[in-house]
Amino acid sequence: MSPMKLCVPGERLCSTEDCIPGAGTYLRHGYIFASLAGYVLRRNEGEELPVISVVRETEAQLLPDVGAIVTCKVTSINPRFAKVHILYVGSTPLKDRFRGTIRKEDVRATEKDKVETYKSFRPGDIVLAKVISLGDVQSNYLLTTAENELGVVVAHSEAGAQMVPISWCEMQCPRTHNKEFRKVARVQPEYLQA
Amino acid sequence: MATVQVSEAEKVYIMHGVRDDLRVDGRGCEDYRHMEVETDVVSNTDGSAKVSLGHTDVLVGIKAEIGKPKPAVPNEGYVEFFVDCSANATPEFEGRGGEELGVELSNTLYKVFNNRHSLDLRSLCICPGEHCWVLYIDVLLLQCDGNLFDAMSVAIKAALFNTRIPKVQVSEDEEGGKEIELSDDPYDCMRLDVTNVPCIVTLSKIGHRHVVDATLQEKACSVASLLISITHKGLVTCVRKLGVGSLDPDSIFEMTEVRNTGTEHPVQTHTRTHTHTHTYIYISEHYSYFFI
Amino acid sequence: VPADRKRVRGPEESQCPLLFLPPAAQTAEPREPRAGRGNGEVRPLFARCGLVSQAKGSSYLEAGNTKILCSVYGPREPERRDEAGVRSGRLLCDLRLAPFSCGKRGAWIQGSGERDLSLALSESLHPAVCLHRYPRAQIEVNVMVLENDGSVLAHAVTCASMALADAGIEMYDVVLGSALRQDGGASLVDPDLAEERGNWLAGYEENRGGVTLSLLPNLNQVSGLHADGELRADTLSAAVRTCMESCHKLYPVVQQAILRAVKRKAPPPEK
Repeated sequence: MSPMKLCVPGERLCSTEDCIPGAGTYLRHGYIFASLAGYVLRRNEGEELPVISVVRETEAQLLPDVGAIVTCKVTSINPRFAKVHILYVGSTPLKDRFRGTIRKEDVRATEKDKVETYKSFRPGDIVLAKVISLGDVQSNYLLTTAENELGVVVAHSEAGAQMVPISWCEMQCPRTHNKEFRKVARVQPEYLQA
Repeated sequence: MATVQVSEAEKVYIMHGVRDDLRVDGRGCEDYRHMEVETDVVSNTDGSAKVSLGHTDVLVGIKAEIGKPKPAVPNEGYVEFFVDCSANATPEFEGRGGEELGVELSNTLYKVFNNRHSLDLRSLCICPGEHCWVLYIDVLLLQCDGNLFDAMSVAIKAALFNTRIPKVQVSEDEEGGKEIELSDDPYDCMRLDVTNVPCIVTLSKIGHRHVVDATLQEKACSVASLLISITHKGLVTCVRKLGVGSLDPDSIFEMTEVRNTGTEHPVQTHTRTHTHTHTYIYISEHYSYFFI
Repeated sequence: VPADRKRVRGPEESQCPLLFLPPAAQTAEPREPRAGRGNGEVRPLFARCGLVSQAKGSSYLEAGNTKILCSVYGPREPERRDEAGVRSGRLLCDLRLAPFSCGKRGAWIQGSGERDLSLALSESLHPAVCLHRYPRAQIEVNVMVLENDGSVLAHAVTCASMALADAGIEMYDVVLGSALRQDGGASLVDPDLAEERGNWLAGYEENRGGVTLSLLPNLNQVSGLHADGELRADTLSAAVRTCMESCHKLYPVVQQAILRAVKRKAPPPEK
């Protein structure tokens, strides 16, 4: 097998008639060019033409994008919103820290007016959320948990034990049996690992 | 830089106009706006000038002070530039907001004058290695409406032309001590030769063409411009690509040519100098042959 | 504090004694011309990527005695926010000359010359980086010049673009920089510090100056052009052409250095 072709940014890979541009490439005047330094990969994905992409040792720099599911950690809460740090985009860890905000009205889909942030999140909780906007000049990434699958996945009780979800809005401490309020996520089976 | 927001529709309108050699204010691609030059406007300076180019207003004051020559060139004086972006021009410049632009402008000016012929620095020497004249050229931006570089360079040239440096004589006493004597006649002054002082022409690339003297709106449509400073002899003293875009090599060659074949520049200079009535003719002559 | 009259104090300011050499000493002794290379030849280039382990991407470049180190961080959350940063990312460039990099000791604080170089570097790199792929993020490029022996800006541009490629930042093309010194009739490509200063004292001849150009070689676009001194228009055009040619000469070296780092970081993926 011949060694895999390598490329640097700006190298012309092929014409658009031969391939579909994938990650790490861009289009210019009907040709596909590399935008990353890495290995050139052609992959048939059931389409007529193979997808051409450039891959590197790690996944390309992922940034939280609108619609992406992110895993974040709550850092502080106040009556209007909860501040979080985004840790993962999908299943890719982020190298740098990005901050996000979950506003009170984005915590759940129903009875938005009755939401209390204190009864939804606590600092330290690990939350699954979805990016709804990159925010404007003043704000950070805006996130929402207004779906059944989104919300708190890991939380610790005041006694310090990891709590067990008992309903969509409550979690219980296995040590003290105290119940605490959270916006609990119904974790999808595919995310659960033994 | 002071910027304006331009919508996509406006951009398209301006770009199509430029393509057809007709700009929003009715000029062709190679036409300057109306320019007014006034010299001797600030009495406390040794030389001053104010230039208005459309709504861009630049005031330049020059002060000459006695200093020590730089050790590398003991027989020459030197020039210091300082550009102040006053908050009058735009609120963006308030506080330290204008600092970045000011540093960029003054650094460019150092580059423009970084050669042997623009100014005869040897004429600024009083006593080699000991005393020389230092020219402090202070540029004040009063209003910004694009094309600061060009307006600034014309203002500096006019102010240098207007500069009068008192004549001094160095006398030596018996012990070898040197003394600087100022001439008794306050009108006994030295003038600077400004024939080789370059002027800046900024060409902004819009679509596939380039325009001179871009307004702020036009600047917002252009991603790259080329600054060229040139003397009346056609010597280029500074070139600089400005902005975040890139340029085709061919368009660079084309742009450097425009300067040579460039159209007559409709400078209408107007000076209020009462002492030197010939200033008016001199300056206008100067710029017209520069732009031919 | 009473003044100590017995001690002879040095002057408050000191200057390098070399500055006071009579001009004759500088011109009479002819320097070895170009250390054995032709006027159109660039100095041999040494380039490596991925030397700074903490950075997302880094590169080190040596051309003659000019030594430059560059590291790239990000994309990360921006510190300063403005309107433009929301739609596309920001590219922050910072170029510093180490205090010991020049003949005269420099300050640690960034001077106006360094700020000017940083701006020129930023303007030269900007067209090449796909910033629209990094909304709300900033990419930091830090260039440290360890030794300045001429053509600093040109090599800094090349070095920074290598570091960006090493960091996996998406780019339209690599950026190559090249400098030229015009001294009368002679065009010296990739000048060293002595050539860059020129034969300053020799005379007041015209047609002397320096040109620095940055090129996107595959797209054939000029991303930066800086010239000063005094040049005739035809000389300038010729200098631009010569610079473009010498940029192309650097390409294989740069390409190899980037690919080497890619290979070292990861084996080829399974098909």
